[in-house]
Amino acid sequence: MTSDGITAIQEGFFYLLQGSWINLTVVVGAMVFGFMLGLPLALGQIYSGKTTRSIISIYVWFFRGIPLLVFLFLFYFGLVSFLDFNLSAFSVAIIVLGLISSAYQSQILRGAILSIPDGQMKAARALGMSDTKAIFYVILPQALRISIPAWSNEYSILLKDSAVTYALGVSELMSRANHVASRTYQHLHLYLLAGFMFMLLTYLGTRSLAALQKRLKIPGYTH
Amino acid sequence: MDPILSVENLYKQFGDRPVLSDVSLSINAGEIKVLIGPSGAGKSTLLQSINYLVPPDSGRILLEGRLVNGADKRALCGYRQQVGMIFQDFNLFDHLNAVSNIEIALIRVKGLHKIAARQRAMAELDRVGLTSHANHYPAELSGGQKQRVSIARALAMDPKIMLLDEPTSALDPELIGEVLSVIGKLGQAGMTMILATHQIAFARNLATEMIFMEAGKIVEQGTPDVILNHACCVRTREFCSSITDLTSNQ
Amino acid sequence: MEEIVYIQHTVFPALMQGLGVSILLILPSAICGICLGVVTGTLHVYGSPVTRFMVNGYVLIFRGFPLIIQLYIWYFGLARIGIFLSPYTASVLGFSLCSAAYHSEYIRGALLSIKHGQALAAQALGFTRIQTILFIILPQAMRRALPGCGNEIIYLIKYSSLAYMVTCIELTGKAKILASASFKYIEVFMIVGVIYLFLVTLASSLLSRLEKGWGRCFL
Repeated sequence: MTSDGITAIQEGFFYLLQGSWINLTVVVGAMVFGFMLGLPLALGQIYSGKTTRSIISIYVWFFRGIPLLVFLFLFYFGLVSFLDFNLSAFSVAIIVLGLISSAYQSQILRGAILSIPDGQMKAARALGMSDTKAIFYVILPQALRISIPAWSNEYSILLKDSAVTYALGVSELMSRANHVASRTYQHLHLYLLAGFMFMLLTYLGTRSLAALQKRLKIPGYTH
Repeated sequence: MDPILSVENLYKQFGDRPVLSDVSLSINAGEIKVLIGPSGAGKSTLLQSINYLVPPDSGRILLEGRLVNGADKRALCGYRQQVGMIFQDFNLFDHLNAVSNIEIALIRVKGLHKIAARQRAMAELDRVGLTSHANHYPAELSGGQKQRVSIARALAMDPKIMLLDEPTSALDPELIGEVLSVIGKLGQAGMTMILATHQIAFARNLATEMIFMEAGKIVEQGTPDVILNHACCVRTREFCSSITDLTSNQ
Repeated sequence: MEEIVYIQHTVFPALMQGLGVSILLILPSAICGICLGVVTGTLHVYGSPVTRFMVNGYVLIFRGFPLIIQLYIWYFGLARIGIFLSPYTASVLGFSLCSAAYHSEYIRGALLSIKHGQALAAQALGFTRIQTILFIILPQAMRRALPGCGNEIIYLIKYSSLAYMVTCIELTGKAKILASASFKYIEVFMIVGVIYLFLVTLASSLLSRLEKGWGRCFL
């Protein structure tokens, strides 16, 4: 740790911290978008007919099979030239990460819903609940609770992926680290600082989700 | 006077295995019919077919003389509200406590106001003797308590008929009594019930009629005394003699 | 017609070259990653307290830092302190070390899931500790870790595209260069997408076949 390095870190610290706010926004946006798409996809894969299920499977295969960087370039440079209006790199980042996340989240939710004993659905139907009501009031409250650890993992992955959006010029943590590094020539120190900041953000996020899980815990519930 | 429930010529196959073959029965208000027979006879499937949880391949079901249309989803939900079902593994909603388990259908299906639903739910809980456990979750209740809550949940819907699918088979022996006592009181109060059970001694005292099933068919039906002691069919006699041996040793 | 000619004569050869570089990146990284992962995973379970502490630190950092930062540290960061790695070397190093951390956790989980009775039986037969681990525990654990490790390799296939960011021009890099020159972003990247889909699907089916085959020997 040279003194130049320490100076560089001190200089860049708050600038990087502000950048981390962009990462968090991108991650939360992508997770929410991914959930809003992923939930209907999961329900479709379980409760719909064969054609719908095949289409959803193809969607999931597509978005889980192609690298993030390829999607980012495809959407930002490719599709945007297709459309008439300009999307910022920030928006493209959220959309792309959200689409990919929706594919993963659909599988998380699907697994959680399938793990619930089918006696729960039977009892709901026997009481006269329509399928929609049964899913909404009996199945989902349980499935969402079961999914929290997997979401923790998804958050962790999305946070690290948000660093890749640097390739589109999003002014997030990684790109800011690079910026300060090229000014001060202290690349190693700044990348290490950025890395540890990512670790801290991951820790804070997963701790929060663990606390949420504890708060929503049902006494004696095991699945 | 129409029978409360009429089941006509029910057929059901799983794959190429016939599980129900031309099953017909009817039950009048206040009657209690008990299904007995070996495992795999189709007793569970019959009960679950009656409320279309397992849709029959062919046959008709009439509630109070009106045909049930299995294809019309809304009508089916309405029909199920009038038929109470008790499962062998209770199937309480794991994410809700006892009183909420009873409330939820009142609020979400019947559209009752929350306060009215809560009052009714607590009354039903009281009927089965579990007021002190209202805020306990299923994981905190014993098997017998869970089954009693599930009975309260079904009763809160004011069903015209109750279907009980081996309600005590999953219970430890010392917990069976509390559930049988609740079912007995229901019967005395005039609830129409179709009950599948292995508890022959209990059934003999409670039942208006016993129905012996085997391999998806109704072999014989009649009063408990006839079925258990003077059955017409060979198979019925074989089955009943083996179980009365057991019950007479108790 | 022009498009197809363009695709045949310019795009395809370039992309195939890029694909070659990608494969040269993926294969060594996967192999090194698994080998290192097995070693560190085993040390994490059976090592001395100091070893376990160090492996724990390794896993925390290499799973906590985004891969792109790790690559930048090896390529740009080390250069600042006088160690100059080629883009290719830095990429393979980065991919191996990062991958190994993930493999390590899967192996560790699998090792911990093996019933203690297995080790007891081996010891009763006279196996030393190392022999027990090598011949009894580890083979069973590898079978259980297969889905997780296989998944990690599939992630590696996708993340190999990040090598472009440290100027190692593999498939994605070639595509970017081609597309920037011709402005045919959608066409070029769709083809690249299909190539990656093919690689990933191939790897997945090999993986399931391996799981089924191995499954016949163990439970």
